[in-house]
Amino acid sequence: MNKSLKTMLVGATILAGSAGIAAAEAHGPYRIGITQNNVGVDSYQTTYEQAFIAAAEANPNVEAVVLDAGGDVARQIAQMQDLIQQDVDAIIIWPTNGEAVIPAVREAFQAEIPVIVTNSNIAEAGFPFVASFSGPDNITQGARSAEIMCERFTALGIQDEAQIVQISGQPGYTTAIERAKGFEDRLPEVCPNVTLVETQPGDWNREKSQQVMEAFLVKYDDIDGVYAGDDNMGVGALNAALAAGRAEGITFVGATNFAVGYEAMERGEYWGSIYQSPVDDAEAALKTALDILAGEDVPFLNYFDTPKITQENQGDYTKPVF
Amino acid sequence: MAETRAKTIGQFLARQGILVAFVLFMIGFALANGRFLGIDNIMGVVRSSAILGVIALGVTFVVISGNLDLSVGSMMSFSTIVVLDLHDKIGPALAIPAMFAMTMALGALIGFLVGYLKLNSLIVTLGMLSAIHGLTLTYSGGKNMDIDDKAGTWFSFFGQDSVLGIPVPILVIALLAVLLSLLLSRTPFGRKVYAVGGNGVAATFSGIPRARVVFMCYLISAFCVAVAGLLQASRSLGSQNTVGQGTELDVLAAVILGGASLLGGSGTIFKTVIGVLILGFIQNGLLLVGLAFYVQYVVTWVIIILAVWLDIAAKRGRLLSPIA
Repeated sequence: MNKSLKTMLVGATILAGSAGIAAAEAHGPYRIGITQNNVGVDSYQTTYEQAFIAAAEANPNVEAVVLDAGGDVARQIAQMQDLIQQDVDAIIIWPTNGEAVIPAVREAFQAEIPVIVTNSNIAEAGFPFVASFSGPDNITQGARSAEIMCERFTALGIQDEAQIVQISGQPGYTTAIERAKGFEDRLPEVCPNVTLVETQPGDWNREKSQQVMEAFLVKYDDIDGVYAGDDNMGVGALNAALAAGRAEGITFVGATNFAVGYEAMERGEYWGSIYQSPVDDAEAALKTALDILAGEDVPFLNYFDTPKITQENQGDYTKPVF
Repeated sequence: MAETRAKTIGQFLARQGILVAFVLFMIGFALANGRFLGIDNIMGVVRSSAILGVIALGVTFVVISGNLDLSVGSMMSFSTIVVLDLHDKIGPALAIPAMFAMTMALGALIGFLVGYLKLNSLIVTLGMLSAIHGLTLTYSGGKNMDIDDKAGTWFSFFGQDSVLGIPVPILVIALLAVLLSLLLSRTPFGRKVYAVGGNGVAATFSGIPRARVVFMCYLISAFCVAVAGLLQASRSLGSQNTVGQGTELDVLAAVILGGASLLGGSGTIFKTVIGVLILGFIQNGLLLVGLAFYVQYVVTWVIIILAVWLDIAAKRGRLLSPIA
């Protein structure tokens, strides 16, 4: 045996040995691919991506492949196929469209790559191919908003006569439908005598919501509360009420606490909302993927907590960055 | 005597069919909800229509010159985001002119492509619709723009204050409508716009600088978009990147509703204003009546098509097309 061959053997043994040690410590590093919906289109998605990259970099066991579909279904399907070709250990997908991505999710499933859906779920037909869904529970969010509203009315002593209006999100969006359902189902349970007099969509748009609220203010002399599907619309409604000089007597409750909503709460004009952090959302998605790879039992609907935030406890939460 | 009177009524209808339609809607909505004609409601509708209306004034020039502008929605998002961002960086006094310059540069680019290079305006502005949206997102990084010190800035004047009891946005659109109406109907430039849109070849042979007229129309359109962006930004003091999304179609609907021809050569500022008001009052009226939103989508377009039909029927003096 010559010298160089001996060196090679020793080297190989050391390499194999150290690999064995690494494998014993953790099964990694895992290569995790993510294809996002449309980074840059709003602050939430932008912050989500930054948080995801930060969380992946902070974990030495993760090597992330971060992709963005730019809102384009075809591109997202191509990205799924790329990730399958690269044979990553797990794929996280923020679907551009709940129906259209199912075939690509199925391909990953057939290639035995676990798929984690993040933020908004895909259609039920695709559930058999999904390892887990990680995201907010919009029905609970709607229910919690109803509780915030009811608790406030009880404190003000108007829980038996209050009239409210609802400004919902864009018609057809699952998030909009689920939040409205959660709110409408929960409200009569906690405050049976509060009447929801009318619901109109604000299309997630502050200006549209302001117009809708202007019409409500003309139409109804007595409005005690406004529930908006997110804070952006809630602040639009608040602006309309401020302009009409009627904001004083109205309790505004939203969801997805935005910076503008947080600030309006600080000013005492806006009562409460639901705290949904894109950072928590991103970290929950990565954790769900890692838990599945580690072979842990993960519930199919793996919700991260989105707590109530009101003027009373907002000091416990940092101001949202979006 | 009676015959002449009938004739004058007929002529009036033919000229102002859209105005008659407008009055009919107003009566209908007023009967359905007594508060519809309340002064607060009317002020509210006119004020919130002002943003759409200001854009429509500019697009009227483009349409009369025989072109289209589908980029105005994206462009308004751009100007709104830019002025909000610059407000905190360089102060409102500098932010406003800077935003106007940037928006009009975009208008100049479109005007150059359509006017001097004679590219099809539909394709150019459809492309710009996406391109400017991309530009806005690149500029903002996708983040919502909000002014930090909302209570302490005079910037809110344009969107929120009133002068002599009249909201500033209404004053702005009234002033702009008068000025642009004079420009269109009382100046040589205005006549050139009609000439270029009515028959471009004939206009060229008459020595009208066609390219320059088209270029100027897009510049006017961009100026109006910048004004709208200013009103929007000032009204909400914060904005999403998609604030103007979809506006281009409402604007076109208003302009066409006012009777401007998509083929160019006809239309007036006054009728565009009526078109804008019809759209605004339909939206508001349906909300006050309280129809479910999915019914509203349908009813809105039924009313618009009815209005256009009434207008055309009055012009040709019969309900059906003479050729049909």
